[in-house]
Amino acid sequence: MKKYMYTILGLVFVSLCYLIFVSANIVFSNDIALPKAKKQTDSRYRLVLITRDMDTTFWNKVGMGASRQAVKEGASLEIWGSYSNNSEQFLKKLELAIHSKVDGIIIQGLDTDEFKELTKVKAAFNGIPIITVANDVPMKESLRRTYVGSDQFRAGGLIARQLLNEMGTEGNVVLLSDEQKEYYQNERLKGIYATLKVYPNIKVQYAETAESKDQVITTMRDQLNQMPDVDAFIAVNANMIGPMVQEIGKRSQVEPYFIYTFDDGPESLPLFEEGKIDGVVEQDPETMGEVSVQQLVKWLNGETVPLDINGYFTKIRILKDNRNE
Amino acid sequence: MNSIRRKILTFTTIVIVIMSIIWIALTFYNYKTQVKYNDILNRYLILSDVSRSSNQVITDLNNYMNQSTPENFQKLESSKKVLESARYEVFKVRNEVNDFTLTNYIHLMGSLIETTDRLMGLERDSEAAVKDLAETARIGNYISDMTLTLIDMELKTHEPFYRGIMEQSIELVKLAIWMILLTSLLLLLATYWFSLSITRPVQQLTKAASELAKGKFDNEISVKSNDEIAFLAKTFDHMRTNIINLIQQIKEKAKLEHELQQNKILLQESHFRSLQSQMNPHFLFNTLNTLSKKAYLEGSEEISDLLVSVADLLRYNLKQIDRSVTLRDELIVVNQYMQIQQARFTDRLQLKLDIDDSCLDVAIPALTLQPIIENAVIHAIEPNINGGIIAIQVKDLTEYVLVQIEDDGIGMSEEVITQILMERQVQTAGHSTGIGFSNVVKRLRLFYERDDVIHIESSLGSGTAVLLQIPKQRGEIHD
Repeated sequence: MKKYMYTILGLVFVSLCYLIFVSANIVFSNDIALPKAKKQTDSRYRLVLITRDMDTTFWNKVGMGASRQAVKEGASLEIWGSYSNNSEQFLKKLELAIHSKVDGIIIQGLDTDEFKELTKVKAAFNGIPIITVANDVPMKESLRRTYVGSDQFRAGGLIARQLLNEMGTEGNVVLLSDEQKEYYQNERLKGIYATLKVYPNIKVQYAETAESKDQVITTMRDQLNQMPDVDAFIAVNANMIGPMVQEIGKRSQVEPYFIYTFDDGPESLPLFEEGKIDGVVEQDPETMGEVSVQQLVKWLNGETVPLDINGYFTKIRILKDNRNE
Repeated sequence: MNSIRRKILTFTTIVIVIMSIIWIALTFYNYKTQVKYNDILNRYLILSDVSRSSNQVITDLNNYMNQSTPENFQKLESSKKVLESARYEVFKVRNEVNDFTLTNYIHLMGSLIETTDRLMGLERDSEAAVKDLAETARIGNYISDMTLTLIDMELKTHEPFYRGIMEQSIELVKLAIWMILLTSLLLLLATYWFSLSITRPVQQLTKAASELAKGKFDNEISVKSNDEIAFLAKTFDHMRTNIINLIQQIKEKAKLEHELQQNKILLQESHFRSLQSQMNPHFLFNTLNTLSKKAYLEGSEEISDLLVSVADLLRYNLKQIDRSVTLRDELIVVNQYMQIQQARFTDRLQLKLDIDDSCLDVAIPALTLQPIIENAVIHAIEPNINGGIIAIQVKDLTEYVLVQIEDDGIGMSEEVITQILMERQVQTAGHSTGIGFSNVVKRLRLFYERDDVIHIESSLGSGTAVLLQIPKQRGEIHD
């Protein structure tokens, strides 16, 4: 009887001790690590990468490359921007960056007056260097230090040549572009025209539209009505490829048409994977990010002054759909 | 020896110490959490301070631009100063997470101040002024936005901390419950043991006391503790042994008393016997006288004389016992005894006397010589068919009188002599006269109070000589 009592008491004692140990461990544990306080910022440069298309595959890659390079250079980099091509928000971010007196701005170019005003007047007034990335704006209008990204003129040429390869030197082509006429789109168009103009049998129809999905669909409908015997489509603004393919699909099979675009739209690559698009110009966004940070730091360090006005071009190549062959 | 008090004190101290430890731990924990909490709260306050003061600057700037009074100017200056100090404060908030944003934040404030300064230098209604005013408003908005962003960031950063605090506070309640349970358990056990350590000795003592009360004194009282009870038990045990000793003493006393009683009874008996034995000799003595007269009347004078001698001897024996007499008297008795013995042994017994008459007045216990002579007769004359000679010599040796009784019998062994001189009873075949001899030795020694009063010289086969050295002094004093 006494033995049982002692055993029970011992068990109770041990379990209580264990519970206390566990609870005390939780209560007195200091493992909630708060971030270490800092007196001074220790990275040399504060850089900002600003885009209008946050969280798209293309811009994520740019951001990745830029971040990697920033770590290498010992600079701190933040990626700001707006979603879905919201220019107002985008410009706000730019202004904020200027007022925040960051050491350098890497930005997706926007061919508007507000943008140019901000870069040319405000940024220059505050002595903040600006590098455009992926989408360029003219140097004279923006006072950008340089451009890092694809040679859009060449990209246009590349896509036109691919069109010629597949369609032949005869046919009707619809070029769908943006109302905003951004600089990089113009370059692409120039490239396409430059290649196609030597083939008189290719009839090019140029259409402009606003970027919203409904607008794109409406415009496409018009184009298809106007030119029922169209053979090929090129989406100069990659963001439009989704509604485009959708609208074509409504009318007939997508397969017979030759459809081309660039890879900086969110739907470009998925559609290409599905085989609905025949060719995509693939750019190198990671390298863009890397090179932009690299060049910016070089400029800030005074190593390369001035930067190449024409820009630093990254690789481009055409992705072909081989299933038709 | 105040160990019960010490026990209580120790016990209380331990309880207090345990309570204090718990209290200190909890207070420490609270304090730590409080400090962290205040720290975090302070960060929020700093951030909201910035937002407020920047808004104040913009408001004051607006007022100043509308009405450029010195009063408004003063206001603007002071709110600018507040913003400056708030800007300085913000440095405290910097950490690894918000480093970039915070730097931007600080620069934004810088921009606001710069723009404000620039604006103050401009004409009120100029185009640049309007533009800059709009810009300050925008910067103000940016600051507010960024404040929110920073606060949001803070929240995110400290989320694990808050969750940790919540978890900890839940755990703290549990901990308190476990602690209370454990402490209660320990205290209960400790109290149980503690009270047992006091009551058990008391119980033992009570049991021992009740056994004592029942009269069992044999069991030892032992209490295994080191406090007052043990002391009490020890004292109690001491008392028990004392009682046992006392009882022992009483028993011995009773035994002694019993023996004394017995002895008294024996004494009375012997007294009675001696009285009785005194009766017989008188009767015998008278009878002997009668017999002597009768023998005389019938013409047997020798027997008559013998009977007279026997009667005289008997009378002497009866009268003089336990009294000192002179040597002369003793010799007369010896003479009479020898006459009786000669009547028995006739020619076989020869008595030689060589007596210095001047020594006959020394004191000597009655019936001293007779037993020695009797001994000699028994051992020297009786066994010998040819009889023997007993020689008695009395010599004056100035300091004492030497009485020598000599026979030419078979002698004594050393052993027997030693036994006689040791006043032991000597068992000799057929007779118990050894008693007489031993008594003589005893009486002589008592009478003269010295041991060397008697000597025996003897060897087997060459007779025995008994030498009595009777001091003269003693005799004169005693008579």
